[in-house]
Parts: sequence; C-alpha cells; structure tokens
Amino acid sequence: MSKEARPSWDSPMQFVLACVSYAVGLGNVWRFPYLCQMHGGGGFLIPYLLMLVLEGIPLFCMELAIGQKMRLGSIGAWTAINPYLGGLGIASVVTSMYLCLYYNVINAWSFWYLFHSFQSVLPWAECPVNSNRTGYLEECEVASPTQYFFYRETLNISSSIDENGGIHMGQALCLLLAWIIVYLFIVRGVKSTGVVVYFTATFPYVVLIIYLIRGMTLHGAWNGVKYMFTPKLEQLANPQTWINAATQIFFSLGLGFGSLIAFASYNHHNNNFERQAIVVSLINSGTSVFASIVTFSIYGFKATFNYESCLERMRLLLLNTFDLSEETISIENVSSWISHLNYTHPERFAAIASKIEDCSLEAELDTAVEGTGLAFIVYSEAIKNMPLSQLWSVLYFIMLLLLGMGSMLGNVTAIITPLGDLKFLSRTLSNETINGLVCLLCFLLGFGFTSRSGNYWFTIFNEYAATFSLLFIVFIEVISVCYIYGLRRFEKDIEDMLGHRPNWYWKVMWAVISPVLLISLFIFYIINYIQGGTPTYQAWDKDLGKSVVKEYPVYGQAFIALLLVSSVSCVPLAALYAFCRRKQRGTPIRQQTASAASSDI
Amino acid sequence: MLTAVLLLILLPPMVAQDLCKDSTDGFKVRLSIKTALGDNAYDWNESEMFLFQSTLAFAMRRHTEQDTYNIANILVCNNTPRVSFVFVVTSPDDPTKLIPKEQVEEAVRKSKHRINSAFLLSDMTLEFIGIPPTLATPITYDTPPWLIVFGVVIGAVAVGILALLMSTVSKRRRAKNKDAGFAEEDDGRVKENGTALSSLGGKDGVYNQAFSNDDRFTQL
Repeated sequence: MSKEARPSWDSPMQFVLACVSYAVGLGNVWRFPYLCQMHGGGGFLIPYLLMLVLEGIPLFCMELAIGQKMRLGSIGAWTAINPYLGGLGIASVVTSMYLCLYYNVINAWSFWYLFHSFQSVLPWAECPVNSNRTGYLEECEVASPTQYFFYRETLNISSSIDENGGIHMGQALCLLLAWIIVYLFIVRGVKSTGVVVYFTATFPYVVLIIYLIRGMTLHGAWNGVKYMFTPKLEQLANPQTWINAATQIFFSLGLGFGSLIAFASYNHHNNNFERQAIVVSLINSGTSVFASIVTFSIYGFKATFNYESCLERMRLLLLNTFDLSEETISIENVSSWISHLNYTHPERFAAIASKIEDCSLEAELDTAVEGTGLAFIVYSEAIKNMPLSQLWSVLYFIMLLLLGMGSMLGNVTAIITPLGDLKFLSRTLSNETINGLVCLLCFLLGFGFTSRSGNYWFTIFNEYAATFSLLFIVFIEVISVCYIYGLRRFEKDIEDMLGHRPNWYWKVMWAVISPVLLISLFIFYIINYIQGGTPTYQAWDKDLGKSVVKEYPVYGQAFIALLLVSSVSCVPLAALYAFCRRKQRGTPIRQQTASAASSDI
Repeated sequence: MLTAVLLLILLPPMVAQDLCKDSTDGFKVRLSIKTALGDNAYDWNESEMFLFQSTLAFAMRRHTEQDTYNIANILVCNNTPRVSFVFVVTSPDDPTKLIPKEQVEEAVRKSKHRINSAFLLSDMTLEFIGIPPTLATPITYDTPPWLIVFGVVIGAVAVGILALLMSTVSKRRRAKNKDAGFAEEDDGRVKENGTALSSLGGKDGVYNQAFSNDDRFTQL
C-alpha cells in the first residue's frame, strides 16, 4: 500500500476539463476541416456522427471505466485486469513517448511564430530583399513569403532527409521553453494539472469565438463557408469517406495512449464517468465542427483575396500590353476583355498568352491543405492580409499553443502516472524528480527534430508512430475487457462505481460493433500500406519553390518499421515474460485478483 | 525664303521626334494614376507632361552636377491613352547628341524618390521599364525582438517553477519538523488538554489503512 492516499482532482469539473483539454487538440483545427472539404462538405457530418456513436463514445467510456476502477496508470491497470496484459500498458507508454517527442515540436513552432508576431511588419508578409536591393530573394520569389518563412527561416529545411544540417538554435530554444512549460504544468501531478486545465480548456474557445466574428466579417468569407456546407452527398458512396470518418473520431479522442486511464485513475470511486464520457465526446466533435466553420471563413477570405489579386494582375497585363486607358478595363470585365482582345489582336495576344492565368474562385477554394501546412502557411497568409495583423497573429498562435499544450498534458500524464505507480521508482525518487527526468529525456531526444532535416523525421513520426499501433492497442483493449476479463465482471464493476448496470447500447458496442470496426480499420491500414508501395514524403525544393515527392531511403523505412514493431511487440513480449516468471515461481496461473495493486512489475 | 523659315522652325521638332522614336537610348515610362489614387486621381495633360520633363531635367542636373539641363533636353514621344510614353535625354551642349542609356538610368535611380513624390506615386505605379526600383533597406535590429519576448517568457516560467519547487521543499521540511516535534512532545511535556488524542491535532490527520475507500465525496 502507498504511504499516502492517491492524489485526486479537486472537483469532477477539473477532470472533465482535463479530458476536454486533452481531446480538443490541433487535429480538430487542422485535420477535420480538410476531411470535411475532401469528402463532400456538410455531408461528411453523417458518417462522422455515426462513427462517434458507434465507436467514439463507447471506447472513451470504457477507458475511463478502467482507469477509475483500477486507480492506476495504464501499466498497473492492465496488469490488474490480467497479469499477461501488462504489455498493453507498456505499449501505450511507448506510443505516448513517441507522441510526446514530436508533438512538442509543434508547440515550439507555435512559440517561434508567436514571438515573431511582435514586430511592426510581420516577417512572413514580405520577402526579404537581396544583397544589392534590386529585388527579392530568389527562393522567396518562386515560392510565397509565407512558405519561405516557414521552410527557410523557421525550419531551415534541407532538400532531403539524407542531408542533416546543424541544429536551428531558435528552434532549440523554443523547444526548451515548451518543455519547461510542460514541466511547470505537471510538476505536482494532478494538483498542478488540475489548475492549468481551467485555462487551457476554456481560452481556446474564447479565441475561436473572436475569430469566428472576425472571420465572418471578412470580405469573401461567406464564399468559403457556403462551399464547405454545400453537401456533396455522392461522396458518401466512397468507402474512403467512412474510413476517414472512423479514423478521425478514433484519433481525435486520443484513445489508446493511456492518458484517459491515467486521468480517470485520479477520480473518486463513484464519479459518474458515463455521463462525462458522453459530454466530452460531444464537446470534442462540436469543437471540430465549430473550428471548421472558422477555418472555412478564413479559407473563403484567402481564396477571394487571391482571386481578386489574380484578376488585378490580368487587368494590368492587358492594360500594359495594349496601352489602353486605365478606365477601360475593370475587374469585372477582365475575362470578356481577354476574349475580345484575343479576337481582335491575335498576334499581340499570342505574345503574352503564356502569362495569362485562369482566375477561378473554385480553384482557389479547392486547394485543400491539412496539417502543419494549414496551420502555419495558409492561416498566416490569411492573417497577414487582415487589418491589425499583429493582433490576430498573436491571438491565433496563443490558441494553437493552448490546444497543443492541453494535449501535451494528457500525453505526459500518460507516461508519468504509470512510472509513478512503479514501486522501485517512487521509493527512490520523488514525483517531481521523476517528472523532471521524463521532461529532460524527451527534450534531449527531441533535439533531432530541430536539425535541418528535422521536419522529415517529424513527418515519419506523425504518420507512423501513433497510427497503426493505436488501432492494435485499442483493439486488444476491447477484446481483453469483453472476453478475457469478462463483460459480466466489467458490468459488475461499473454497477459498483455508478450504482446501475450499463444498458444494452454500451454492451452491444463494446462486445460487437467496436471490435468489428477496429478490425476493419486495421485491415484497411495494412492493405493500404501494402498497396502503397515504397513510402514517400514531401521534400522542399528551394529552386522550384514547392514540395516534391521523394521516396524514403532504406534506413528511413527501417526506422518506420522499428517504430511500429517497438510498440506493438510489447504486448506479446510482456505476456511471454509474465508466463516465464510464473513458471519460474511455480504459482498457479489463475490466482490473480482484480485488486492486485501491490503488483511489482 | 518662307520655306527656309518654315524649315528652320519645323526642323528641330522633327529632328527631335526622330531622335526620340528611333533611338535605343530611350526609356519607356508608364504611370498608373487611377490605380494609385482612385478618386483623387488627376488627369494627365500637357501641364503634367511639363512637370515630368522638368523633374527629369532636375534628375539629370543632380546626377551630372551641370546646371545646363533644361526642359528642351527631355524629348517625349509615343504617348498612349494608358499614360505611357518614351523619353530620351539630349546633351545640353549638342541637341542632336543623346545621353547614353546608363547615365540616364543612374540619374533616374538616384532621384527616383523625388520623381515619385512629385506625382504622388510609388515605385509600383510610376514605372521606368528597364530600371528596376531600389527597394527599401530592411529594418535591422541589434537584438531581434523575438529574443526579447522569449527571454521575458522563459524568465517568468523559470521563476514559476522555482517558486513551486521551493514551496514543495519547504512543505516537506515543515512536515518532517512536525513529525520530529510530535515525538519530543509525547515523551516530555504534557499537552494542554492532557490527552493523547491531542497529538492528532495536525490537519492532515493520520492515515488509517482500514478505511482506504476514498469516497468522502458523493458522485457527480
């Protein structure tokens, strides 16, 4: 038994806010709007909400139940469920470790952009001037100022994953700051985390509302929102839509990392997690939809701005080539003038034909971007064209930081809770020291992401470290709880905590629907991987000013395989280890009770 | 006689036109007044052209430091409704000789800002085709502003962490002293109430393992 009671949240509200802060993260802002756009706008909400009901809420509730019942982090909880399943907890911790490593790099970039917003002219608004002041730097001319700022000044990216350069000092400093702040938030465990989440969970909504008002009043915003919400129901026939809806719900809720188990382990025994699970899941999905309205109004503004700039350029081109007076061509009749001049002066028109661009609002709206490209390039491009751009920039990057930090709290708690439960560690070191060592280790390992090829390694982690393994982990979780631990036993535990048994909805989802969905997602990933051929990545070409597709080298592919294997293999290896130890000790296999809090794995 | 007089009067402009139209030392100028000024745009007329010729003469004077340049030395042709035209500069000593292109370019670059201001235009809206504008020097800082903000934030966070750690350490030390203090008091002095239960006066109480169920609070 521990010498002092397990710390707990000061109120159930803190727990709910912690879950909201963890689940509502950057994916709600930069992945969901992209999916919405790709899969038919408003129509995407149908598969999305269906998947929320079929797999999101049940799996979320199950993880909370396990944590609250076992009152231990993921390793201890799964060992308590079945002594051979300790590996499931270890796999969760390993995956959380990978996530922590690369996720805080995004926070470092947000800090970098935030600090650079305190200038009279935003640095990504204009290209830097070349040495003899006759023009702009070539790389910036070919690309755009926002892309140049991101790829050259923020990342100083090399042209492929093979070229490692030095470490970008500014990035390293921002990463240090990010980790120090994470340490400040988790240093006292739930006592400090519980206070911080009041802010990290609520302030992003304040900023989103401000941005919604600002976005809706921008010129051309309505084009974007209309475009997003016009449902294209034929997309529902595409299986990719359903698969993307399922994976988005799954990853957005943060299942399988052990964070939910860790958070719930600090709850009181009779906390009503069932209602809280529904509330948090609905808040998470609602935030996704809300954030995509904001994103699309910004998209609409940017697309309209680019469209009108394109028309203006064409107008000037025509005026200059044909020496017409400025009042003859206006923005509205540019296209009719183009056809007229083509007809009346074909030879002169042919001379400039290569410079004529086809200005189309739809084409601008169609350029769907997701991920870091959306957050750091597209959004900053839109912000620089707003009046008072420094203010909007600061607000936006503070929001990104809070979303990212809130998720980091959950990620780091998923590591430090099981570590804090381990007897041999908590005997020798205090909790603050363990937390500090974890942060220090993650910081030092994260240095690799601040090198010149760091963004490419970041992409590897982003795409492979936590996708496939999570599906595997959660699938094994559901199967263990329903069939190894036993659904009846689980029902009894829930009745013990809540006072009533879970109704048929929960039981059907846990036992049948969610495992079936998970296994089909799993098979889909494997098929996709096999069919995809050699994995590729986008490398920045500084002469062309855009990204080109390159294949990963052999060591890159080996590293991807290592990432996947290292977390997935924990499950069978730990089971094997437990089996061997039991055989060594000679104890009968079935004698393990659920309250084995004194296990010393 | 009349023809001779007529020829004498008409010859210079004709020669001037030929100089302007045929030469390779000329520059094309383009003004976008409506784009720059919108409703406040002025009309382009002879007087504006006069102003242009005088500013160019001024630019040549400034560059060569010869006070002999005059409006007559700036020849203009190829006027279009776009408000674009070609100009050449003749030497003040010999009206049939043209100033070479490079010299004119240097003169224009030196005084571009003055020329722009005379017409309330900018480098984008008053273009000399072939003479790239000199862009403004970028602002350089001694310490980049982002480092300053970074320093402030990391200082505040470091202070916060130190404060938290100090309070944890002092709390532990106080708890340790209290335990040591209770041990002494139980041995020696008598408590105020004289009961052993007063040693349980610390607000943390004593953890009784028999009652390990922490539901002091009811459910949500």
